[in-house]
Amino acid sequence: MRNKINLYVIEYAINSLLRQKYKTFFVTFILSILVFLLSSLFFITNSIKYELKSTVDSLPEITVQKIKAGRHYDIDISVLDEILQITGVESAVARVWGYYYFENAGVNFSIVGLDEYEEQYKNSFVEAVKGLDFSKPSMVVGEGVKKIMDKNYYREYFNFIKPDGTLKRVDIGGLFKGETELESNDVIVMSKESVREIFDMEESKATDIVVRVANFNEVAKVASKIKLLYPDSRVITKDDLKISYQNIFDYKSGLFLALFVVSLFTFFIIVYDKASGLSSEQKREIGILKAIGWRVNDVLREKFYEGFIVSFFSYMMGIILALAFVYILKAPLLQNIFTGYSQLKTSFNLPFVLDVQTLALIFFLSVPIYIAATIIPSWRSATLEADEVIR
Amino acid sequence: MIELKEIIKEYQVNGIDTVMALRGINLYVRSGELVVLKGASGSGKSTILSLIAALSKPTSGEVIVNGDRISKLPDNFASDFRRHSIGFVFQKYNLIPTLSVKENIILPLVPMNLETRDIEDKLSRVLKMFHIEHKENQLVKNLSGGEQQRVAIARANINNPQIILADEPTANLDEKLSLHFIDILKELKAEGKTIVVATHDPLFFGLNIVDREIEIYQGSIV
Repeated sequence: MRNKINLYVIEYAINSLLRQKYKTFFVTFILSILVFLLSSLFFITNSIKYELKSTVDSLPEITVQKIKAGRHYDIDISVLDEILQITGVESAVARVWGYYYFENAGVNFSIVGLDEYEEQYKNSFVEAVKGLDFSKPSMVVGEGVKKIMDKNYYREYFNFIKPDGTLKRVDIGGLFKGETELESNDVIVMSKESVREIFDMEESKATDIVVRVANFNEVAKVASKIKLLYPDSRVITKDDLKISYQNIFDYKSGLFLALFVVSLFTFFIIVYDKASGLSSEQKREIGILKAIGWRVNDVLREKFYEGFIVSFFSYMMGIILALAFVYILKAPLLQNIFTGYSQLKTSFNLPFVLDVQTLALIFFLSVPIYIAATIIPSWRSATLEADEVIR
Repeated sequence: MIELKEIIKEYQVNGIDTVMALRGINLYVRSGELVVLKGASGSGKSTILSLIAALSKPTSGEVIVNGDRISKLPDNFASDFRRHSIGFVFQKYNLIPTLSVKENIILPLVPMNLETRDIEDKLSRVLKMFHIEHKENQLVKNLSGGEQQRVAIARANINNPQIILADEPTANLDEKLSLHFIDILKELKAEGKTIVVATHDPLFFGLNIVDREIEIYQGSIV
């Protein structure tokens, strides 16, 4: 009893593809590129969405900033006590942070100040505090920051240039591990005292205040109470931040959408071209096969294998190339569209996020459609009278 | 046994005009008989072969082969019929030029999913029978006309069919190769096969192996 898979038909299909090797190579190449493009877009989008979600999830429920003439100013720490009096507020922390532009590398570092005995508003800071030596100016730095400092020969310490032009030496104590790479990559954590010195900030001031609310349903109410107390403040809830992040993401994903549409459009042009007809040689070959006793389904099976071999190979190639491009090469060019500030921010590694749905979506967008485009015109020829085709 | 009853075959040209290729043909070919259909180009000889091979269907009338009404066969059954019962040698051979001799010959066996040994046995039988063993792995496009014809005959015989149909088999051959083809026909007839040859080559007329010559003129038997 022969097994059901007819290896001779598969062999014939492979030979048939090899007989048109230039055409097969060209189609496989184009399909692989399209799958690669689509996959890269999906992989980057998924990774960044994951990063953003993790970042937003780790944010405090409410952030209070002082606003003057529409601009963000340092806020008085005394506000903290009044906020803590509001019913529903679990804790409030004055944050000291800012961006430091490192001219040699053309990047911005995010410097965050922490107090040794203060309640930390993020889990990652609890670990960071353990790595800091508060008896002297020291810091823990994100991986991206570490790489840049190493490259510029700052392996043990870094000299920050203060607003008055003098230098502030801070020792590098270790690596900072945030909850997400996007969050931690460009971050430098040190004592609040050192941050104030680097940014020339008064001791009675903070960059902003973050507030934790015990009951999530009361966030909006607490936010409105703070706003009533301090009309000159901007009170941002986690939901506002989520929307804001989503807006930035959506705006940038428009560019991706354009690339996505172009890729799909190109694919469908190929599919349309293929589905719209066979060459006279191909029709003749189908006619010959029918004339010597091949059934319509034998012809279609052979064409199915041809389509499957080309499209599945292209699919696998595209996926493997995209994985290498996004997660090994860090998606040069494409990643910058999303992460923005590409001139100023340190580069970061996209987290590896690979879900079955994405792979299935790309599979169904490429393989079955291409197979159908291969089979349909062959079916049209195969169902004609063989005599009509070979005459 | 092949029987054509009141066959009319019309072709549509350019989707509008209709050309009548056969006008009420009645034909009976006994098993083991070698029949030559002769006539000018366009007289309808090839159409008769097409109908016998179930490559096309008559507009009206019936084609009966070994008791089966093959003019009524659905497409897949017609393919099965051709695979098992018919060996067709086409005028232009209809080989796939980029395949080797071996690959062309075993092409009818590919969908049958036979054991490799069965395929090899059948292949070696026809390779020997038509003296092309030494060309087995050559590409068909590199063969001479005579060699290509032998490959076409070998392919037509790979399933050892009872009926051999040959459409203008010597149209592309010189006299020496044409005589060689006639020798092959002798061998096939000696094996008891039913053979129908459509030709206007005078070399076939009056041959002692030919049982009957039937003249076709403008779609009718004269």
